[in-house]
Amino acid sequence: MSRRFRLCVLALGLLAFAALFTAACAELPPFGGDRHPYGDRAVHAALLRHTANTVSAVNFDQRALDTLGEESILFASVLGTVVLLRQTSDEHRTVPKPSPVPDRTRRYGLLALPVTLLIGLYVVAHGQLSPGGGFQGGVVVATAVHLLYIAVDYRALERVRPLGPYEIADAAGEAAYVLTGAGGLLAGAAYLANVLPYGTFNTLSSGGTVPLLNAAVGVEVAAAVVVLLARFLGQALEIEGDEDRGEGKG
Amino acid sequence: MDRLLPLIVVVPLLGAALLAGAGRRMPRPVAETTGCLCAAASAGLAVAALAGGPHVVWSGDWRPVDGHGVGIVLTGDRTGTGLAALTSLLVVTVLAYAWRYFDEPPRGHAGAFPALILLFQAGMCGFALTGDLFNAFVFFELMGVVGYALTGYRVEEARPVQGALAFGFVNSLGGYATLLGIALLYARTGELGMAQAGRELDAAGRHDALVLASFVLILTGLLVKAAAVPFHFWLPDAHAVAPTPVCMLLSGVMVEMGVYGAARVYVTVFAGPGGVPAEDFRRALTVLGLLTALTGAALCWQQRHLKRLLAFSTVAHTGLFLAGLAALEPEGVTGVFLYVLGHAGAKAALFACTGALLDRYGGVDEHRLHGRAREMRGVGALYAAGGLALAGLPPFGTALGKALAEEQAGWLTALYVVVSAVTGGAVLRAAARVFLGAGPREEDDCGAPETTGDQEEPETDRRVRRLPSLMATVAALLLAGSLAVGLVPALARAAAGAAHAFTDHAGYAATVLDGTHAAPGAGHPYAWWSLTGVGLGLLSALLATGLAALGVRGAVPARRWAAPLRRLHSGHVGDYVAWTAAGIGLLSALVLWPGG
Repeated sequence: MSRRFRLCVLALGLLAFAALFTAACAELPPFGGDRHPYGDRAVHAALLRHTANTVSAVNFDQRALDTLGEESILFASVLGTVVLLRQTSDEHRTVPKPSPVPDRTRRYGLLALPVTLLIGLYVVAHGQLSPGGGFQGGVVVATAVHLLYIAVDYRALERVRPLGPYEIADAAGEAAYVLTGAGGLLAGAAYLANVLPYGTFNTLSSGGTVPLLNAAVGVEVAAAVVVLLARFLGQALEIEGDEDRGEGKG
Repeated sequence: MDRLLPLIVVVPLLGAALLAGAGRRMPRPVAETTGCLCAAASAGLAVAALAGGPHVVWSGDWRPVDGHGVGIVLTGDRTGTGLAALTSLLVVTVLAYAWRYFDEPPRGHAGAFPALILLFQAGMCGFALTGDLFNAFVFFELMGVVGYALTGYRVEEARPVQGALAFGFVNSLGGYATLLGIALLYARTGELGMAQAGRELDAAGRHDALVLASFVLILTGLLVKAAAVPFHFWLPDAHAVAPTPVCMLLSGVMVEMGVYGAARVYVTVFAGPGGVPAEDFRRALTVLGLLTALTGAALCWQQRHLKRLLAFSTVAHTGLFLAGLAALEPEGVTGVFLYVLGHAGAKAALFACTGALLDRYGGVDEHRLHGRAREMRGVGALYAAGGLALAGLPPFGTALGKALAEEQAGWLTALYVVVSAVTGGAVLRAAARVFLGAGPREEDDCGAPETTGDQEEPETDRRVRRLPSLMATVAALLLAGSLAVGLVPALARAAAGAAHAFTDHAGYAATVLDGTHAAPGAGHPYAWWSLTGVGLGLLSALLATGLAALGVRGAVPARRWAAPLRRLHSGHVGDYVAWTAAGIGLLSALVLWPGG
């Protein structure tokens, strides 16, 4: 297909889509209205279960099955990355050379690392109470670990990041979520039912299974992001092809 | 059983976590056995669920009050559980086929391949069972992510990565469209559950641009998965490069999931008075099905790369499925259900045979392999039987399904006969050349835009001297399954019951929200072989054989007239994206067509 023809096809498609979407948006409920059917029901349901953060109540209780799917998508992405970025027989590993880091960067990194780690853990732990939770906090924790790469060098990162345990933690987070859900079945209720005592509203132990599922996701996300970045960093810094494999493609 | 329904999805997820976590310590046979066992357990659950039902399970016990709720429902009706059972059984055979298959499992990750296959199974089963639009989207994405990784599995070469990339781009684009559509639908209805959204639409009773746009956008993603023209470009590229066991799953069930999703969403959400009129849906699916079937058949005949040939035959058959579902009459839908079952067995068996060729001769090019596989008589016989099954030779399940669909299809009957004959004929032609050495050896004409199949690398560790009997056994079992679909009346009866429930908009909502259960499958008259059906099946099988005989001698001119069509399949991701955008336009035009 020539460039011109391709652009024509694309333009036609986009024009049709724009017309359809504009017409649809004209029919949307007006902005700023007070009709929020799902929101109202979700807040009501969250309060029934003593979960202060409604978003977490939706994620880990009311629609916990969606979160199982989403967590599995991340899990599958990590596994897929491990498979796709593996070292093949015509590639070898090199040890990347350390390069000097400016003192200011080093000081900033070493100072920010413990703070970031603490914030990450806090965000995970308070998922049922305040904005945040396993997904967000997990990413912050993983970021903290990678400050070592910026502040010191790749070898320092590798030392605190033995991949084996992180891969196991990734799988354990996934398994913990699945098994906590099965706890509902064992208790005679539905899968992913919130069968634990709901606790006192607005305390760390409130929300029943919400903090547990939240923590499982936190572990999975933190480990997954570390493994994911490790695979990409490894591919970029360590693995080299024995010959250039970029032959023309069919 | 009701409460255990989610385990069909959950057991493979747990198995995948186990394989990924303990994979470092696990020897390869243990990992592969674990994978098989988890898939089999899930298959057992799905079959048990299929026997009872319909099951309606609210995840976390969040039941709706007065028809409104916050929870997610899994609806294990006959169609959903049936599809989950088909998927799981196929996954088990695929894992058996892939036993010690790859030469280089990722270092320290012996369980990675079976784990990915289990995640794929979980995604597909979840998609088949869910009764919630957003949850369906989540499982749709899970299927996608795993699909891209599995397609690009053989990273030693450049082309698998390219194929996986095209697959990823086009499917992600479709996913975004679906998500946008779900958001628009929520704006109107305030619901994410299919049954709830359907009732809200009916109560609002406004058939306007918002409803139309959300329908078109949701359908776009599902049709990308179903590889309907012009959303199909990713499929041949992905199938040509994916490892053979993965092709068996992609062609056998994943593509059919897209077809199922499109019909399910229409029936449950949009088929009421507040949705999209039935004739608009019928027109859109008939035209897209026609285009898809003809494009697939024409290109299938052109291929010499055996996996691409089978890929285009999948495109062609998807077109037939779409056209068969367009009217949503229970009899026609019964036919499509049986057709899908029969097709899954036949197509997976054909891929299994092709994998055997690839691993023995290091290529899947019809011309290069000319006469070289004379010694593999058994595989040759299976391959030819698979070709005849695709063509619709009675008593294969494909033929029964096709016959039942044809009875409702009117003038489209000709399409069914021609398309199945051409795709079956292409397979038979390849079989005659490769396994019998029939016809003259073709000289390579350089310069033509052509995908030959001789750059493929064998996927097993060394070229297989004696074919592992497991591979041939799996292929034979799959064909036997396809045959059983046409021979076991209980399956046709169950399919008829499933189809009646599947096409019932109000009945679905009542089952999910009011807990009224129609007696499952009882009392529905069901159709079986008829004289016309057998006659048409024999006709298309005869046509296929004739086409193959002519094709072997080079008497069917093909190259020239199809060149523009072939050039469209350029492998350029930008082209595919452009066509996907254009497809949204085409779909809107078809639904909006005046006079409907």
